[in-house]
Amino acid sequence: MRNVVVLGVGQSTFGKLPQIPAVKLGAQAAKAAIKDAGISPKDIQVAYGSRVLDATQTIENILKYAGITGLEMHNTENACASGGTAVNLLWKDIAYGVYDIGIVVGCESMTTCSIAGQLVGTAEGDLNGFLGITMPSLAALTANRLMATRGATLADLAYASIKNHRNACLNPYAQYKKPITLEDVLKAKMISDPLTTLHCCPITDGGAAAILCTEEIARKYTTQPVKLISSVVLTAEYDSWDEEMDEVPVMRKLARKAYEKGGIGPEDIDLVELHDAFSPEELYSYEALELCPVGEGIPFMRSGATQIGGKVPVNPSGGLQSLGHPLGASGVRVVCEIVQHLKNQAGERQVKGAKAGMAQMVGGYLTGLSSPSVGAINILAI
Amino acid sequence: MKENKFFREDLFQKTPDGYALVGNKCTKCGHIAFPKNDFCIKCLNEEMQEVELSKKGILYSYTITRVPLGKFPIPHPIGMIVLPEKVRITAPLVMDEDGFKIGSEAEMEICTLYEEADKNILGYKFRVKKN
Repeated sequence: MRNVVVLGVGQSTFGKLPQIPAVKLGAQAAKAAIKDAGISPKDIQVAYGSRVLDATQTIENILKYAGITGLEMHNTENACASGGTAVNLLWKDIAYGVYDIGIVVGCESMTTCSIAGQLVGTAEGDLNGFLGITMPSLAALTANRLMATRGATLADLAYASIKNHRNACLNPYAQYKKPITLEDVLKAKMISDPLTTLHCCPITDGGAAAILCTEEIARKYTTQPVKLISSVVLTAEYDSWDEEMDEVPVMRKLARKAYEKGGIGPEDIDLVELHDAFSPEELYSYEALELCPVGEGIPFMRSGATQIGGKVPVNPSGGLQSLGHPLGASGVRVVCEIVQHLKNQAGERQVKGAKAGMAQMVGGYLTGLSSPSVGAINILAI
Repeated sequence: MKENKFFREDLFQKTPDGYALVGNKCTKCGHIAFPKNDFCIKCLNEEMQEVELSKKGILYSYTITRVPLGKFPIPHPIGMIVLPEKVRITAPLVMDEDGFKIGSEAEMEICTLYEEADKNILGYKFRVKKN
């Protein structure tokens, strides 16, 4: 198997941009990634697109706007983990020698898609979705459980949102660059008790792209290659009546497999970008990703370990809380963020001396499967 | 008068005591599925027997959705209930202004989930008891 390098990354503006089609946001990101890599569009041999809603010919259309035609390309959909999945597929092509260089592009227009303005639901024909389970209500069920069984406080549930909004003030790509307080979170409009709008990621359009290639090609363009050392995608197991919602077994299994595949441990990870569509998710993700022991997520969080300057900063970009969650783009965007830190190009939000970082995206829900239903983890290192 | 119609017929079974939720049980390992499945998710056995589920269970967690949610009137309380058969089901709850408490006993009721022009769409909700 060959080593795979992320040669270039690019992002579109993230924000409410209903006037720009999703594929044009993807094209903005693709062009930025090509420029960052220093290659010609004609060098690209294969392409993967990622989009969840209303997707038809997504990557073909993006490539058309980016000067790339006549090559093998595929579109992927895996709920919130779609972008991470597309990265995984391109990684496989290069690692196993099918192609030497390719592009992955994720995009979404949440302001104009077919579910614009609605709570994100489950899947067609899903029983619990029919009964009223949505992504916010699922997060709220877990949040109430965390308060009842783990002693989490309302401040704990809001912690990640407050931290990530603070981080976003340092990120030029963020949709919201305004710090918020616990009072702001608690006074915001209630969505699904106890979660308010400020526990939930905003409605956002955006695109993100990355160029992956062999080490041999990378050597022509850079002396500081960022390697994609591990890439894992998994679906969840069937659920069980006695499984606690915060156990998130798919995330635990993903993390363990990702560490083993990369020959790296959680103690080596300098920063993490993860799915914080709902603020309380960070709390149990710390445990599932082995950033702290099981059962110690709350004290770990309260210690400040995951803020910029802490032991392992989580979502230094501002996370989905501040960049929003254009579903198909987020899994690629988190890879872009880690790469910027590893290249020491993350500006004021830079995690100092970062040598390895994890880009995680999980999501989806299906009655009968453990939640979330799918996840992707990509680990990058220099 | 509007016609009453279950939102999904396969979830319910008529009993001398009114309607009950119905799942199915693996004839080999005894695992119970709700909704019914055509094979056992534990041992992949394809012989499953229908089994009536208890009407009473324990509230595992809950939330109340406050923003528009398609066909459902809001606020829309929804929870997860653990039944004695070792099944955890998701169910709308009967709204209670005093709120809900995890661990409380809850009992299933058949009721109208929402109305259509010519139909009452029936389903199940759980009423959470005060401890």
